[in-house]
Amino acid sequence: MATSTEGMSITRTGETGAFGGELLTVNFGPHHPSTHGVLRLIVDLDGEQIRSIKPVIGYLHTGIEKQAEALRWQQAVVVTDRHDYLSPPINNLAYALAVEKLMGVEVPPRAQALRVIMSELTRISSHLVWLGTSGIELGAMSILMYCFRERDTVLAMNEEISGFRMHTSYIRPGGVMADATPRFLEMLDRFTREMPLHIDEYEELLTMNPIWRARTIGIGRLSPEDARVLGASGPMIRGSGIPWDLRKTRPYSGYESYDFEVATSDACDCYGRYLIRIKEMREAVKILRQALDRLPDGPVNVDDRKMLPPPREELETSMEAVIHHFKLFTEGYSVPPGDVYVAVESGRGENGCYVVSDGTHKPRRVKFRSASFVNLQALERMALNHMIADMVAIIGTADTVLGDVDR
Amino acid sequence: MIRQDLIVERGVSAGDEWVTVESGSIRDALAELKNEGFRLLVFLTCVDHLVDGSRTWPARFELVYQLRNMETREELRVRTFVDGDPPHVDSVHDMFPPANWDERETYDLFGVVFNDHPDLTRILMPDDWVGHPLRRDYPVGGEVVEFSEEHERWQTAPDRA
Repeated sequence: MATSTEGMSITRTGETGAFGGELLTVNFGPHHPSTHGVLRLIVDLDGEQIRSIKPVIGYLHTGIEKQAEALRWQQAVVVTDRHDYLSPPINNLAYALAVEKLMGVEVPPRAQALRVIMSELTRISSHLVWLGTSGIELGAMSILMYCFRERDTVLAMNEEISGFRMHTSYIRPGGVMADATPRFLEMLDRFTREMPLHIDEYEELLTMNPIWRARTIGIGRLSPEDARVLGASGPMIRGSGIPWDLRKTRPYSGYESYDFEVATSDACDCYGRYLIRIKEMREAVKILRQALDRLPDGPVNVDDRKMLPPPREELETSMEAVIHHFKLFTEGYSVPPGDVYVAVESGRGENGCYVVSDGTHKPRRVKFRSASFVNLQALERMALNHMIADMVAIIGTADTVLGDVDR
Repeated sequence: MIRQDLIVERGVSAGDEWVTVESGSIRDALAELKNEGFRLLVFLTCVDHLVDGSRTWPARFELVYQLRNMETREELRVRTFVDGDPPHVDSVHDMFPPANWDERETYDLFGVVFNDHPDLTRILMPDDWVGHPLRRDYPVGGEVVEFSEEHERWQTAPDRA
């Protein structure tokens, strides 16, 4: 016998649970507002307690890896934007670093600094979306308005530097799309001065809020050993007290030269993961300030005519430049055969890109190792024996983006 | 490092260390590496080398296991080559829990069968999907767009009734 309402249906199993009641199988989603997209969960319930939980994914599968194989190396950047749609520049960065490593290219210092700036802005905006939506799920309505106000500032900065608010494709193999405008630097300066005060505002709303604390403290425990074994990364593993942050452990783009702390918490619960994300936003502002203060001058792209088109002025005077331009936009460039794996730290954890080249102008294989896909597997461990209402908090702090899970 | 007789080939690609092992001994090789501290399987995936002229490949499908030692921060890529229709390889889900979904994904998109996997079903594509989309002989585009008029006709076609 089954009953159903929108996004949820219940099946009676006929088995008796520990409390003398009947075990029920509840289908949760895929179209349910608290699943962060289209995640379907099949949950066995004993009363209100979760006995087993089985995520069903694939509702947002868009074949990004297949599409990347059909595009040329420089075109595939646009599909990388779209898997983890809350942090496009970080996805671009993983792909760009992988291609550059295969080609043996090092980008100039100014491009590296701009990449760090865009990564940290993205981390802040991704955490803001997480904080706002998690707040709403647990009954704190106003936090979303505050978070989206600052997120809009970040999106306006994305627009200023790249012309696009969300899917920027700003970071590309060989450098970045364009140099930062003076107005962008002004906006960034104002942002780094105002943002710490806004983070104080969020903390005033939530950190000591009794309802927020009651819903998150002690909920969704993930022991350090489980976090390690299950391959969790990002705030999930740091929330279990393991200071693993790729920006420190395997530095890229000059992160080793910035002064920042890795946020960890020994609480292992949802509240600990909340505190980590708040701290990470503060650290990101610190990195932004340092990057802005010592932003080096110089070019923002590698000086390689075989990889990037020549400047517009050269086309009028140099035949060679015209040939390079023609070759790049008809055939593209070829990458030496080989394979490489590069991982960067996104707001969700380890965002990796495994690229295989067969020496032609298109990738043989592009694999995105997404943090959400791996972190979601820890859901069952965290949610077992909790109440069904706590499952919402647990899915929330796992911070999975379903586009990233399904790719 | 793993026993020399398990290794077929080793090298460095763009700074990343890798070893190749026989597909039959993949479990032995990974178990040894796990004992040595490579306790995290970062990802597992497959590469289809159909019509790849860059070198001669031992078989069509290459399985790639990226391992990490979180104490020493070392990484190692283990490769193995499999052929056949469908290709078979032993599952490692019991040694590395993240491999569970990675193996399902590889089965779904490449059609590689992992022996003794507890639940080897499609994970990203719909359950009734035919074919394995990331194989190189699977075309891009051409599938019926869901919820389109064409899809409706296709769903109600007499041979599907």
